[in-house]
Amino acid sequence: MFPLTSEQLNGILATALMQGGEYADIFIEDTRISSMVLQDSKVSQAQQVCLYGAGIRAVKGTQTGYAYTMDLSEKAMLQAARFAGSMFGCNSCREAILETTKQLCTSNPAETLSPDKVRQLLLLVEQKAHTLDASVIKVKAYVSQRMQEVQFASSDGTAFHDFRPRTSLSISIVMERNGQTQMGYASRMLQMGADFFSDALIEEVVREAIKQTDHLFSASQIEGGEMPVVMAAGSSGILLHEAIGHAFEADFIRTGDSIFTGKLGQQICNPSISIVDDGTLPNDAGMLRYDDEGIPGQRTILVEKGRLNSYLYDRISARHYGVEPTGNGRRESFRCVPIPRMRSTYMLPGEAKEEDIIRSVKRGIYAQSFTNGQVQIGAGDFTFFMKTGYLIEDGKLTRPLRDLNIIGNGPEALQRISMVGDNLRIDHSASMCGKEGQKVAVSQGLPTVLIDKLIVG
Amino acid sequence: MKKDLIYRAEEDILKLPSKLDYKLVLLENHEDNIILRDGKVEKMLRATSLSLAINLFLDGRDGFFYTNNLQAEAVSKFIKEAYKTTRLLEPDETRTLADPSRYYKGGGPDLQNFDATFSEIDPKEKLDLLQETASEVDGTDQRIISMQTRYTDRQHQAHYLISNGFDGYEESSYCTLTSIISVEGENSQHPMDGWGESRLFFAQMPRKGIAPTALRRTLQKIGQRPAASGRYRMILESPCAGNFLQPMLNAMNGQALQQKTSFLLGKLGKQVVSPLVNIVDDPLIPGTRGASLFDYDGVATKRRELFTEGRLKTYFIDTPMGKKLGMEPTTQGIHHLVMEQGTMSKEDVIRDSSRAILVTDFNGGNCDPVTGNFSYGIEGFLIENGIITQPVSGMNITGNLLDVWQRLSLACNDADPWETEFIPTLAFEDVAFGGC
Repeated sequence: MFPLTSEQLNGILATALMQGGEYADIFIEDTRISSMVLQDSKVSQAQQVCLYGAGIRAVKGTQTGYAYTMDLSEKAMLQAARFAGSMFGCNSCREAILETTKQLCTSNPAETLSPDKVRQLLLLVEQKAHTLDASVIKVKAYVSQRMQEVQFASSDGTAFHDFRPRTSLSISIVMERNGQTQMGYASRMLQMGADFFSDALIEEVVREAIKQTDHLFSASQIEGGEMPVVMAAGSSGILLHEAIGHAFEADFIRTGDSIFTGKLGQQICNPSISIVDDGTLPNDAGMLRYDDEGIPGQRTILVEKGRLNSYLYDRISARHYGVEPTGNGRRESFRCVPIPRMRSTYMLPGEAKEEDIIRSVKRGIYAQSFTNGQVQIGAGDFTFFMKTGYLIEDGKLTRPLRDLNIIGNGPEALQRISMVGDNLRIDHSASMCGKEGQKVAVSQGLPTVLIDKLIVG
Repeated sequence: MKKDLIYRAEEDILKLPSKLDYKLVLLENHEDNIILRDGKVEKMLRATSLSLAINLFLDGRDGFFYTNNLQAEAVSKFIKEAYKTTRLLEPDETRTLADPSRYYKGGGPDLQNFDATFSEIDPKEKLDLLQETASEVDGTDQRIISMQTRYTDRQHQAHYLISNGFDGYEESSYCTLTSIISVEGENSQHPMDGWGESRLFFAQMPRKGIAPTALRRTLQKIGQRPAASGRYRMILESPCAGNFLQPMLNAMNGQALQQKTSFLLGKLGKQVVSPLVNIVDDPLIPGTRGASLFDYDGVATKRRELFTEGRLKTYFIDTPMGKKLGMEPTTQGIHHLVMEQGTMSKEDVIRDSSRAILVTDFNGGNCDPVTGNFSYGIEGFLIENGIITQPVSGMNITGNLLDVWQRLSLACNDADPWETEFIPTLAFEDVAFGGC
């Protein structure tokens, strides 16, 4: 529990508004992260991290003053509030009148697993990997348990107190066959405490890492060029994240930088396509009861039947456009200013069967698992890196493929989606999205889709 | 710096039930950020952070702990919990502190890399610098959609206390001025690019040229499209050349070698890249970013050859990895990397190229750490008969990293002395580009 009363918080907010700010908020955080690593058959490394502090923001129009402190005394926070508010430089402003505080939610902390139990679990991961495949020579496994406690108060009367658990399991596996070595990787991350772990989950993640490593022994790269790409259900959602998600973030719209600026309400792709960004999926990494600006978690329809329905708004951009914020104001920690970010971004399922989609391709690739991606907001050019996949020849999966960079243009790629599968899958790999130096947890999903043409190489 | 905090934490450790080794690092960072958008202040951020990093070593058990809640009671409690967690670990006899004979023991050059005045400079002076920068292009081109100009300065101070005989302090600073501009392009596209420069002292900051360079780079991107797939000479522009070296540096890491996930495993002393590649890590050059008298383990730094005439001369081996691999420890990674330059300018090389692609930035991609096979998205310019004929994007380069580095044909003379990695524009022959 944090030391300041709501009266003290109101005093700090009023101080932040003393020089002409229109809105102020306080984000107080106490985050504990504990992690353990298994390597060389030993759990001999552990980390514990404590992040503790408060960020104070004053806003006027689209201008922001921000300061943070790790000293949660009233005196230190008042000093930070004075700095945040000082950028508006109004020395004759009247004292701000704050709205009456409405406490929105108070959640309870989730139970985390004890270090001893984590140690046992990691040993089980290694045992399972060796049991499943005799060519496994190295197993590295990592468990991270994070509990973020947040107290938020703003000058419009919004307040909440929330516990946000997040647990992940990451496994990398090195296998050796006939003198050749390959490494594969798999992970899971959910907003859960100790109940995240189960035998079934461990088996699933170990099998996935082994399957990826196994694939790499026989896989190769192909000569680059333009070709049809079938995106497999699940982690292919990175297509949406890079091709449209970032360019829908309303700070890029407000400044005119995004290629989707001015396209609200326009038909931007095939009417069979609907895309959402969702903060309400239970336990999902992108789930938010309240975002980091006190806006309730919600599901936002970005594209409805091919028409651009909404951007992703934080408070500043929503106010700029005279619309309601969509609950996308997120920040990495109290050290950062909230900005529009994605949560769980996915495409709603269509009607096609995956086998029919593959069968429709004469020569192309079937992209299965991915590592990273990025986008150029203004040009709309995106890339994502396919770790494993297959060549499609005459409607059949043939040669195993690996390590291909796939390039496209966001609006063009959307227009080139010609088939949408009925098999939507949300990918729960440990996925962190970076923007302006801040990383937040997200997820993504996609049913199998066919994109008629992308550059592969 | 509140050095008493580190000695207070040491007292807490000495009160623990077992005698153990420890490394304490008290970190203090001060940062100012001012962002100007279209002539108006958009964001102003100020932050001072103080935190404590702790390594506890107990009979081969090694735990790492980090907290920024430095109230006396909170630190005591945190250290007790850290001790309990460390005890649960399985012993790994390789996980020890460095041999104290390797510690920095004083002396060495004055590194001249800390500006103590950042926090004393009137914010108005920083704002004036930003406005001066932005005003250079204000109203000069109607295609400008938006311009962000950002000033950042950062002071870093760290006090180290290691139980087997090291007590050291280091400080460094840098400030950066960046301009990012988006413009109206073709087909509703909004090309965006930027330019930034860093210095160690505020007084060194250039007052001219940053925004005009950003605008020129952005306008040059209008009309980008993929060129035809094929093999081209690749001219890799200095600011992004370091990205193409990074997977090689990762592969030199002791952990990757020990885990057998490095394509440089077993290659020490061998010719692995072009004989033109001469790279050293030199942490002792005064007035450079990354300069340091000791590394994170307290070990004295020194000039170290990484590649000499294409031969791999060292790995990055810390104390635990040295024991695991049966090798002499070196250091954990680079501090200030210097690649030997050539004599030609980038413009000369472009003029001398009949068919080439000048790569100005990478756009996604990856390099497999085990095989060195890579695929990276790129953007830049097509060069035909010594002339830039088309801006390109939406293209990939593919190949094997060692294979392509063997085809380095020349290094230019334009490395930026203010960056951590001093790498010039480079030319590689016969590189596979995937486009339309």
